[in-house]
Amino acid sequence: MKKVFAILCTVLTIALMLTGCGGQKAENHYTIGIGQFGPHGSLDNCREGFLLGLAEEGIVEGENLTVKYQNANFDGSTTNTIAQAFVSDKVDLICAIATPMAQAAYNAAEGSDIPVVFTAITDVELAGLTEGNITGTSDMLPVEDQLKLIRAMMPDAKRIGILYTTSESNSISTIATYKELAPDYGFEIVDTGVATQADVPLAVDNLVTKVDCISNLTDNTVVGALPVILDAAGEKNIPVFGSEIEQVKLGCVAAEGLDYIDLGKQTGRMAAKVLKGEAKASEIPYEVLKESQLTINSDVMAELNLTLPEDMMSRATDVAQ
Amino acid sequence: MDLIIGTLEQGLIYAILALGVYITYKILDFPDLTADGSFPLGAAITATMISNGGNPVLAMGVSLLAGAAAGLVTGLIHVKCRVRDLLSGIITMTALYSINLHIAGMSNVPLFGMTTLFKNGFVDGVFGGGLAPYKTLIIVLAVAMIGKLLMDLFLKTKAGYLLRAVGDNDAVVTSLARDKGTVKIMGLAIANGLIALSGSVMCQQQRFFEIQMGTGAIVIGLASVIIGINLFRRLTFIKATTAVVLGSILYKGCVAAAISFGMSANDMKLVTAVLFLVILIAGNWMDRKGEPA
Amino acid sequence: MISLQQIKKIYNPGTVDAMCLFDDFNLDILDGDFVSVVGSNGSGKTSMLNIICGNIGVDGGKILIDGDDITHRKDFKRYRRIGRVYQDPAMGTCPSMTILENMSLADNKGRPYGLTRGTNRKRAEEYREHLRQLNLGLEDKMNVKVGSLSGGQRQAMALIMSTMTPIDFLILDEHTAALDPRTAETIMELTDRIVREKHLTTIMVTHNLRYAIEYGNRIVMMHQGAAILDRRNGKKAATRVEDLLGLFNEISIECGN
Repeated sequence: MKKVFAILCTVLTIALMLTGCGGQKAENHYTIGIGQFGPHGSLDNCREGFLLGLAEEGIVEGENLTVKYQNANFDGSTTNTIAQAFVSDKVDLICAIATPMAQAAYNAAEGSDIPVVFTAITDVELAGLTEGNITGTSDMLPVEDQLKLIRAMMPDAKRIGILYTTSESNSISTIATYKELAPDYGFEIVDTGVATQADVPLAVDNLVTKVDCISNLTDNTVVGALPVILDAAGEKNIPVFGSEIEQVKLGCVAAEGLDYIDLGKQTGRMAAKVLKGEAKASEIPYEVLKESQLTINSDVMAELNLTLPEDMMSRATDVAQ
Repeated sequence: MDLIIGTLEQGLIYAILALGVYITYKILDFPDLTADGSFPLGAAITATMISNGGNPVLAMGVSLLAGAAAGLVTGLIHVKCRVRDLLSGIITMTALYSINLHIAGMSNVPLFGMTTLFKNGFVDGVFGGGLAPYKTLIIVLAVAMIGKLLMDLFLKTKAGYLLRAVGDNDAVVTSLARDKGTVKIMGLAIANGLIALSGSVMCQQQRFFEIQMGTGAIVIGLASVIIGINLFRRLTFIKATTAVVLGSILYKGCVAAAISFGMSANDMKLVTAVLFLVILIAGNWMDRKGEPA
Repeated sequence: MISLQQIKKIYNPGTVDAMCLFDDFNLDILDGDFVSVVGSNGSGKTSMLNIICGNIGVDGGKILIDGDDITHRKDFKRYRRIGRVYQDPAMGTCPSMTILENMSLADNKGRPYGLTRGTNRKRAEEYREHLRQLNLGLEDKMNVKVGSLSGGQRQAMALIMSTMTPIDFLILDEHTAALDPRTAETIMELTDRIVREKHLTTIMVTHNLRYAIEYGNRIVMMHQGAAILDRRNGKKAATRVEDLLGLFNEISIECGN
């Protein structure tokens, strides 16, 4: 009797172990880790768009996709831990949103075969992320289109002011592009750097006395202080051009900018290709968003007495309606 | 398993920082905020030197000296200009933000693909095959242990005794006909040298420099010191420096645990704080058990 | 020899609380003197010690040690040849360091504090001998942290530590005031023995008139920044506690008590 019981137990145990081992993953079920550098409107939009892009390609959360989402709250050392956790969990793909997160992910994933897909990095070359099992999208601003827009709205303006944070490498490379292209449109760029958000009021008070208009980058710190900038500029009747639709809603006169949801979608589609095995991340060069989106705020335009030629008005989205 | 290795790596790198904070906070009784500036100082110097093809170990040495110089400045401001301890550190830390930016040239410097302490001919040759995944851990362990042992030795020298005396009862130092201000400056220099060294190693491990990487460095250091000292108070056979290293690993463990519980990102800091508190309470409880009835 | 010449000291100068403590104060302490300094609170006893040691500055006058003008020398430099024991037993030792470490620290006074071993094993035996003679049981507690010792034990340590290396002057700042009578007695006897053995010129500020009479070869009574009594050797030997008390009463009456 005891012998039979023992054999039965052994067989049962082995059977359980086998089933435990075998049936973990259903066919083509993916697990990805999304690491976001910090909670921020544009970055949140990237994430939303990313999931939408994956869904377009048939990879839907809850159906054949498990998503592990972590937010580093703008803390550098946390990005390392998050990246290591994803690698240790052996996810199928890491989506990294913003430069520090992408660099941490790239570092942690090296040596494993986990691909990294990034988004919301302005200057990919500067971040050193062009080679390796990594790809993604850049949110390089359509600087030339913005300059054309400003010139179209303000035929006589000479100086454009730009406020940026000294710790944002993305801002510095974008300003370099501005300065390169501005003379072609008859502009001079006046830039002022701040170290923290608390420095913005004084910096902008100073800037508005020296320029004809202000143009925004996607600098997180500065954009966070947008109301202060709009106030100061408004008092001197100086228009502020934004870089994204949300900024125009807040009171910027217009923007030739990016739709971060579209950017995210583009990224999601790239990630789907990698997940399905259609291509390797190392083979896909990073992409820039192809179309910029023209947004205007007609109320603000009226206040400032500015107009736009018909051909541009027709393709613009007016947030005031 | 990977996460454990990762946590150990992070914990050991920050342990060097914690040893520096141990000197200022515990030995000198001087709350020193210079750390937030000297940690990235080491990283900035290392990033620049390595980008230009420099020797990683030499970069670590220069970082150490630069950190010592930063500590020296804080000390001079405190002793000669008679500024409060907390403010002296803040002044140096603020100045270092700009200085670090100048040294690194940019706010973000990637080092992917370059020769570092962890990626060079020697290391690749020694750590082939099976040991490869542990390569970083072993190197970091070696650096941390060397730092800790050197510190242990130093604290047993005459200069080390003087350092301990100045934080304990500086009247004794004056009675010994030594200038307590000079001794404090020496302590600050040594501490910040270690902190900058930690920044140098961190920069090489994560393979990029980011201007903000020093923010909160003093908090991480203090948490590690306090956790380590409190938890191992009763175990007298564990030296204070060992306790500090263990505290650093434990602190990073708390953070890693919070992340791996899959907590909502917003709650992560709260969870870390709670884990921190639990450890401190456990330490106090163990203390009470040991007390005579 | 310590020479205080025309010392002038004003506390809180330029304010409503301005108080001129010393005005043209002169005092010479000769080599070999063991001076007891008594006086009421605020008479300037401790201020005088602080002026000699450099803890506070002077507004006028000179301080000379063996003809060397030290008036503007930093405090820690003066301590090279001066030993000082404070009233608070906690001030003379490092509480988180052991007896052995404290004594090693003190033993190295006057020499560089470099990267050599903090504690000299050979000397440790000598320290033990030193402590054995105190009869306080400290020789068995060499590795105990000083913070856990009693006040009397710490004061004994402070006394030993301040006299371990060769010094010219010993400054005792009411060093028995915070101790119980029996321990105070022990410390005084120890003080006397050390002063004799090492031939130290000593200044002892005390409230205890009996000690002031019993120990030392010279007695000075301070009042409002001046020495109103200064007796040496024979004259001192003839002085009794009642005489001192009488003088105290006189000056109290003068001040309108």
